[in-house]
Amino acid sequence: MNAIELSHINKSFGGFAIRDLCLAVPSGTICGLAGENGAGKSTTIRLLMGALQPDSGRAAVLGVDTSSPEFLSVKEDVGVVLDEAYYPEVLNAAQVGKVMAKTYRRWDADQYRAYLQRFDLPLKKAFKDFSRGMKMKLAIAVAMSHSPKLLVLDEATAGLDPIVRDEVLELFNEFTRQEEHSILISSHILSDLEKLCDYIAFLHQGQLLFCDEKDRLLETYGLFTGTSGQADSLVPEAVIGRESSGYGGVRALVKRSEVPATLVLDRPTVEDVILFLVKGGKRQ
Amino acid sequence: MKALLMKDFYVLWKQMRIFLLIILIFSAIPSSFNNLFAVVYAAMLPYTAGAYDERSKWDQLAAMMPYADRDVVLSKYVLGWLATAAAAVISLLLQGVISLFWQPTSGGYSPVLILLAGCAALGIVAIMLPPLFRFGVEKGRVVMFLFIFLVCGSAGALSSIAIISTSYGGTQLPAWLIPAMAAAALVLNAVSIPLSLRFYRRHSR
Repeated sequence: MNAIELSHINKSFGGFAIRDLCLAVPSGTICGLAGENGAGKSTTIRLLMGALQPDSGRAAVLGVDTSSPEFLSVKEDVGVVLDEAYYPEVLNAAQVGKVMAKTYRRWDADQYRAYLQRFDLPLKKAFKDFSRGMKMKLAIAVAMSHSPKLLVLDEATAGLDPIVRDEVLELFNEFTRQEEHSILISSHILSDLEKLCDYIAFLHQGQLLFCDEKDRLLETYGLFTGTSGQADSLVPEAVIGRESSGYGGVRALVKRSEVPATLVLDRPTVEDVILFLVKGGKRQ
Repeated sequence: MKALLMKDFYVLWKQMRIFLLIILIFSAIPSSFNNLFAVVYAAMLPYTAGAYDERSKWDQLAAMMPYADRDVVLSKYVLGWLATAAAAVISLLLQGVISLFWQPTSGGYSPVLILLAGCAALGIVAIMLPPLFRFGVEKGRVVMFLFIFLVCGSAGALSSIAIISTSYGGTQLPAWLIPAMAAAALVLNAVSIPLSLRFYRRHSR
C-alpha cells in the first residue's frame, strides 16, 4: 500500500499552479520532497492533507481519499510539522500538551514529556519566547506523541543547529524502523534528504521533475570532471548539465548509460543532481 | 471541540485577564450602562480569539489536525455563548450582593435587564462571526467598527430601558420583550452558524 498517493493533481492560484502532480510514497519509506522556494512543496503538503481542494485529480493518504469524510479520522494517524510552528504565542508547552490531549485520541502525555526533556524544552515558558529551533522542536514533539503512522514534515529541520538536526534526523530514522511507518519530508537542506530518504521527489515550478529511489537516482547519473574538450566529445543526450570548474576545466552531470563505460565518473550527491537538472533545464 | 475551546480559553485568559478584571469591576459599579456593558462585551471574546488565531496562523495548523470544519466554526459560537452566560451570572451575583447593601435611585439591580443584555450579546455573536470567517480579522476592521457600535449601542439602549423602568413611575417592561429577544437571538444564531461554516470552507480552501 502507498502511504501517500497523489494522482494527476492540478491546482491553480492565478500566478502559480501545481500541474498534473503524480506522487506515490510506499508505506514504510521516507520520501524527500525537494524544490526551490515557491516550487509548490507546501502547497503539495496542504493538498495531501485536505487543507486545499485540488481543481482536479485525486489525493489519498493511508489509503483514504482526502476529500472523503473518513479522512478526518485518518488525520489521527498523521503527524504534521509545518515550516513554522503555528501555536498561539501565549501558550506554553504544558498547555499545548493539554490541548493536544483533547485533540488526538491516542495522545501519549508521557511520551510528550519525554520528548520535551529530550529536546530540553521548558514546560512553562511562553511559546512567543521560544527560539525558532525550540518552536520546531515543540512541533516535532507534538507530531510524534500521538502514535502517528505517517509523518508529514515541511521544512521541519530548518532553523535547527547541526547537532540537534542530526538528533532529529535520527529520531525520524527510528520512527521508520516500524514497518508501516512512513515519512514525507520537504527540505531545502538536500544533505538532510540524502542522509534520511529512500525516495527523492523534485518539484520545479509546480511540476514534478522526478520521483525516484535515491540509490537508483545516484546510480543513473555520474559526475564528470575533465577538460572542456573532453566534455564536448560526449554525446549531447548524455549531458544533463555542465559548469565551468575554473582553469578551463568542466564539471558535468551525465547519464551513465549514455557515456562509455571506461569514462571515469564520480558519484554525485543529491544536491549535484538537482542543481544540474535545474541549471540544465534553464539553459534549455 | 473541547480542544479548540481549551485553546481559546488559554489564549484569552493570558491576554484578557486584566481587561476581564476591569469588566468585572464595571459590573459591580451600580450603573445600568456599566453593568450591561460587561454582559454585552462578552460577545466580543470570540472575535478576539479569532484575532489571535489569525496572528499565529493557527488555522493553517488546525487544517492539518483532526478538527472538523463544523467544530472549528461551532467552537467560536460556543465560546461566545459560554462567555455571555458567565458574564451574565457573574453580573447577577455581584449586583445581587451589592443591592443588599445599597439601592441607587436609578439603574439599580435588574435581573430582567441582564437577561435582555444576554440576549443582545448572543445576537451580536451571531451577527459578528460570519464576517470573521468570511474576511478574517485584518480585512474585517469595518466590521469591527460595526461591532463596537452594536456593543455600545446595545448597552446604551438597554440602560435607557433600565432608567425608564425604574426611575420614571416604575414602567414595567412588556412581558413579550424577553421571549421575543431570546427568540431573535436563537433565530440569528441558527441562520448564522451554517453561513459561517460556508464562509469558513470557502475562505480556507
